[in-house]
Amino acid sequence: MGAIIRCRGVEKIYRQGAVDVPALRGIDLDIESGDFATLAGPSGSGKTTLLSLIGGLDRPTAGEISVDGEPIVKMEKNRLADLRLHKIGFVFQAYSLIPVLSAAENVEFILRLLDLPMHEREARCKEVLREVGLEGLEKRRPSRLSGGQQQRVAVARALGPKPAIVLADEPTANLDSKNAEELIALMAHLNATSGITFLIATHDSRVMAHSRRRIEMMDGKITADERQDATVAA
Amino acid sequence: MMSRFMLLAPVAWRNLWRNPRRTLITLLVVAIGVWSILVFDVILNAWVTSSREASLRLLTGEGQIHATSYLDDPNVAHRMSEPEGRLLRALNSPVVSAWVRRVRVPAVIQSEYRTRAVTFLGVEPPGERIVSDLPSQVVVGHYLRDSDDIGIVIGRDLAEKLKTRLGKRVIVMAQAADGHLAERSFTIAGLFDGSQAAQDEFVFTGLHTAQSALGIGHDISEISFDTAPAASLNDIVSALKHAAPSRGIEPWTALSPLAYAMESFSQSYIAMWLAIMFVLMAIGIINTQLMAVFERTREFGLLQALGMRPGMILFQVTLESALLVGIGVLVGVLLMLITLVPFRHGLDLGFLAAGAEMFGAGRVLYPHLDPGDAVRYSLIVWALGIGAALWPARMAAKADPIVAMAES
Repeated sequence: MGAIIRCRGVEKIYRQGAVDVPALRGIDLDIESGDFATLAGPSGSGKTTLLSLIGGLDRPTAGEISVDGEPIVKMEKNRLADLRLHKIGFVFQAYSLIPVLSAAENVEFILRLLDLPMHEREARCKEVLREVGLEGLEKRRPSRLSGGQQQRVAVARALGPKPAIVLADEPTANLDSKNAEELIALMAHLNATSGITFLIATHDSRVMAHSRRRIEMMDGKITADERQDATVAA
Repeated sequence: MMSRFMLLAPVAWRNLWRNPRRTLITLLVVAIGVWSILVFDVILNAWVTSSREASLRLLTGEGQIHATSYLDDPNVAHRMSEPEGRLLRALNSPVVSAWVRRVRVPAVIQSEYRTRAVTFLGVEPPGERIVSDLPSQVVVGHYLRDSDDIGIVIGRDLAEKLKTRLGKRVIVMAQAADGHLAERSFTIAGLFDGSQAAQDEFVFTGLHTAQSALGIGHDISEISFDTAPAASLNDIVSALKHAAPSRGIEPWTALSPLAYAMESFSQSYIAMWLAIMFVLMAIGIINTQLMAVFERTREFGLLQALGMRPGMILFQVTLESALLVGIGVLVGVLLMLITLVPFRHGLDLGFLAAGAEMFGAGRVLYPHLDPGDAVRYSLIVWALGIGAALWPARMAAKADPIVAMAES
């Protein structure tokens, strides 16, 4: 399979006052379509920065990034928003649901941005909420869902538009062990059944254990990149 | 656009109620602002109407005809002949609803005890009943019966000042046509109420009686006329000037400059009040929306990260403001209606009588809501409210999606 994410010589320097702080130092990385990869490393190693650049949320200081064959570094803001809407699903660490919308509405919101007809939206919404095990909780607002359930809604929302890639930033960081295990298993299962590419920035060894490819980062550089057998078969 | 509206409207509505106290305070500010603008508009218009009516329905009419230079020096020498020919035909045309002749000269009235300077009028009572409210304001005795009536009607307040009363005799002295002092005794037939100034200034007798007393034959001092509904006063004045080029013909706007000024400036007063109210409302709206945007910076970043275009975020925040201000406007209109309904039959300014009179208004104001004004001012407030919220909305649209990645 070809690379769905391609990074070449990616650098990112943040300016703090008069001081330049390099966050990424020449990243070269290809992520294959359908992969389940983790970005691992200590805090400050550049995982989240790399994820945000690949997601088009920020722009690199130097280098090239392409997603599904489209170069995104110089892409105009609205086109980037469209790219995210159609091709990239995000799962953030926490607090990433729209609080005034129910679980189903959070998922449907993105589908409505895609202008899908109502019957398609409803069917897709039902399908992804069932996939993440939230049947019966569709009408609950985030404030009435547990942390694990909220992250499942976030995963369902990310999967709703059938994206090519899901980028997840520390998705288990705020979950207890049981919920974290369940979420990891869910993402691995979805990767296996739908073929969606997952790139997950994480500290969590359980997540790393499930990944097929483990990319280690340190001080803004990739220090190791290994393929491995997933611990739990999807 | 419609699908975007249908998507964002429910979200905007729910966002408003994330902080109910703040939303309610802003609603209250907008509602009170709109209420005050509309009530001010209605009361001011009622005041203007009252002021105009008080002036026009006293003696002015919608226009007057005099001998040239009468208005500069209204004495008996500046009189004119009765209308005839083209002028009479113009006055009898359908666009003039009514007209009356008057003798009107400065005079002195004397009772057994006191003497006062007044304006002595000879009038045609049947015509006066049509063009003036004064005949209906007689509260003691009766108004004059016809042009040959030899009685006199004076103000109740003047009667008190002269220490006289109904049925007593008074003497009126005025300069006659031959330059001598004309002096005539009258029996008080009636006392009228009304504005203090009118009570003190005007005394009335029959037209023929006054003409006879002053020795002016059939001459008169003025003609007062009213126009038919929907007729143009300016056109009528032009036609009368054309018919009688040697006479002075003035519309009420020139004869009652205070009433005209009130009418002319009322829109400016309302605009000034609207501006003051709007500045106060805008502060509330901007403050509310800025707070709401700052609190939700991460959420706006998240929405962008999920694929929402910045323009849509701008639209969403603007929609929230439109809803907020729109509801405030509706509440304001409702409050205005509740406030004015009890006064639909008139707002008695008895407790402010002296002040009201000073500005030429009557004792009772009749509030009348012009739906056009209500809609216009409501829309202006709504549009300006939305405009004020564009700044916070632009800040929301500029929220950096990278903040969505930051740990809360």
